[in-house]
Amino acid sequence: MTTSIDSFSGIREIAIMQLKSFKETGGKVVGRYCAYTPTELILAAGAVPVGLCGTSEKPIPAAEEVLPRNLCPLVKSSFGFAATDTCPFFHFSDFILGETTCDGKKKMFEIMQDIKPVHVMQLPYAGFEHALEMWTEELRRLRRHLEDQFEVKISDDDIWQAIHLVNRETAALKAVCDLNQADPPLMSGKELLSVSWSRSFSTDVEEVIMMLEELRASLTATPSSKQAGLPRILLTGCPVGTGTEKVIVLAEDLGANVVAMELCSGYKTLSLQTDTSYDDPITALANKYLQIPCSCMSPNQGRLELIQQMIKDFQVDAVIDLTWQACHTYNIEAYKVGQLVRSLELPYLQLETDYSQADLESLKVRIEALLEII
Amino acid sequence: MADYRQMWSDLGMDLEKHDILCEVLPDAFGGVYLSQENRPEGMDYFNFVVAEIHGVRPAELIEHQQNGGKVFGTFCVYVPDEIIFAAGGIATGLCGGSQFWVPGGEKVLPANTCPLIKASVGARLDGTCPFFKIADMYIGETTCDGKKKAWEILNQDVPVYVMDLPQMKREKDLQAWEGEIKSLMQKVEEVTGNKITIEALAENIKLINEKRNALARLYAFRKNSPVPISGKDALLITQIAFYDDPGRFTDQLNSLCDELDKRVSAGEGVFPADVPRIMITGTPMAIPNWKLHHVVETLGAAVVVEELCTGVRYFENPVNQSGSSLDEQVQALAERYMKTNCACFTPNQGRVEDILRLAEEYGVDGIIDCNLQFCGLYSTESYLVQQALKKAGIPVIHIETDYSEQDFEQIRTRVEAFLEMLEK
Ligand code: SF4
Ligand code: SF4
Repeated sequence: MTTSIDSFSGIREIAIMQLKSFKETGGKVVGRYCAYTPTELILAAGAVPVGLCGTSEKPIPAAEEVLPRNLCPLVKSSFGFAATDTCPFFHFSDFILGETTCDGKKKMFEIMQDIKPVHVMQLPYAGFEHALEMWTEELRRLRRHLEDQFEVKISDDDIWQAIHLVNRETAALKAVCDLNQADPPLMSGKELLSVSWSRSFSTDVEEVIMMLEELRASLTATPSSKQAGLPRILLTGCPVGTGTEKVIVLAEDLGANVVAMELCSGYKTLSLQTDTSYDDPITALANKYLQIPCSCMSPNQGRLELIQQMIKDFQVDAVIDLTWQACHTYNIEAYKVGQLVRSLELPYLQLETDYSQADLESLKVRIEALLEII
Repeated sequence: MADYRQMWSDLGMDLEKHDILCEVLPDAFGGVYLSQENRPEGMDYFNFVVAEIHGVRPAELIEHQQNGGKVFGTFCVYVPDEIIFAAGGIATGLCGGSQFWVPGGEKVLPANTCPLIKASVGARLDGTCPFFKIADMYIGETTCDGKKKAWEILNQDVPVYVMDLPQMKREKDLQAWEGEIKSLMQKVEEVTGNKITIEALAENIKLINEKRNALARLYAFRKNSPVPISGKDALLITQIAFYDDPGRFTDQLNSLCDELDKRVSAGEGVFPADVPRIMITGTPMAIPNWKLHHVVETLGAAVVVEELCTGVRYFENPVNQSGSSLDEQVQALAERYMKTNCACFTPNQGRVEDILRLAEEYGVDGIIDCNLQFCGLYSTESYLVQQALKKAGIPVIHIETDYSEQDFEQIRTRVEAFLEMLEK
């Protein structure tokens, strides 16, 4: 059976069932919220990593009983799921792997501690001298923590195996996403998101790699069903998942193609491979992860370079920069992204919004205005 | 203010815009400060410093520069002034505390950013504050998301050197901070052209410790009932500590304290003994942000202590002076600064403990936990603060505000209700 885009949307449901039986047979699960937390180490410990970032508005009111309203919806949604125990992935997690990416998450983990044990990694800001050394040490600390918690021994070989596996998966996903450099693109933005977001729920990386390879083969075998000549949009900014794709939907309903995404689940991580020529797998991992160009880094030149490269590779006509309300790092960095995009003489639109549907009309008007000037 | 127009214009300031500020400031200060009754005479010096805020001290800084010295602007109580002074530089606090500067900041920063950050950036970009113009270099830090990213933008206009503040307080983080202080040392030596010697550092550790001791002395008087000095005056003194000449400041504050000493012996105070005693905790109140203190004290309660950067976080924990090598001195500095408990750290249990301790020491009846809008750190931590205070049976309210006057009445109403509840 060939893999279609639709097969990806089912991954999440299947994963829930698989996790349930995995847990019943003593399997270990680690919940995480950030692209910087190394899945390789979790896999090497024989555990399953699951992404927990909330992408639904539903649990936000519950979160606001504890957290300030004036906080990023992703943080509130994530906390709300935890507080109401309505996310099976959170429920199955043995412990939470947190990090200090942003003020909101950093402080949220302190409160989450009352619900489930949290291990927080201190993320240094890559531009600083000792960053690599610090991050290497944080990875070693995580390795020890995993060994203690799960009573396992993680060998260097285990880590190398996981590194190879994750490298392959990343490459397979990138190969799929790269297909959209073509005009017309082979996938809509919604489809692209569905693939890249859904695969992160899978409990079986090998299977995902196979699905991605099959998808790539089937997409290249058939001519694109998409219309050529539509405005090609690059989406950059805060993380998006199924449930929070309103900007993508709006842009495409208005006749644009969101051809590529510089997001956590997209190229922000896809262009990175762990360099396997190091002697020590932890050093290799530290080097890879610190290259992720998230706005929490300072300075964050890497993001500007990546955006510039993507604009070229994907023949982008305009850039939409999405900021979740109260995400200060992306919000402030928008100034520099805007500077860059305008210097390339392309239209740039920053949208600051939350998970609600309340501002759909005004978002629509602004996206429409953007598309008109292309 | 005396006429400093030539100096301001030489600094490249926007004189017209600045005039507007010069016009409103005396009224604002008069309304909030000079209307208080029974103020200590020693406040005269501090009144003078504020009245001449954009004149006297800036002129001194410029003179220092004309003699080949350098001026460093800082924004955070984690940045060690000792290092800057030891290299023959002058450190001056730059945090903006006025709504006047906010629109200037919003030209490059999102409206949804903390007003302290917007005001600071606006004061620089609009050219309406001499201190921002004078400073040769800014020393930033990675305390919060907003500041960290704002430096990148400010750096396009003025050199900003950023210190990487750890976010945890484990042994290795302490070491990392030591490393950061050493890097700062190198930077400051490079900019000033002066080598920092053991003697110079020892001397300046002592100088800043003396300033801390004087502030600690001031705050200790506030433990008395009736309280001999208003919260507003104490706040003003602390705000001035950030940019005045440290030696002179210490002398002036000590003579004020001598006066307070007499007041206390005579049982004299600025409020009746039975008024509610309030602690304010939360985000810093940079000059001229006196809003909350003004609300509380015009409603008849006394602010007796601030668990703020413009409060005890600034002066508690003197630096150990026994270091006999640069390494030991830097280690002592790192240890001292890492004792400060800001919400940018995780976890930050120490702050909750501080608040409980201060409530006891100062005989506090109620606590106002106040943070600036869009400060995700303090607003999120507020949950833990309130939880602990409820457990300890200490009344608390949480207020979120900015630099505008729009919510003045609303805050007044809430504080009034809070005070009524305390009086019952
Ligand atoms: S979107 Fe921004 S504020 Fe929200 S979790 Fe991510 S980095 Fe933090
Ligand atoms: S008040 Fe909060 S957001 Fe503002 S500068 Fe301070 S820590 Fe940053």
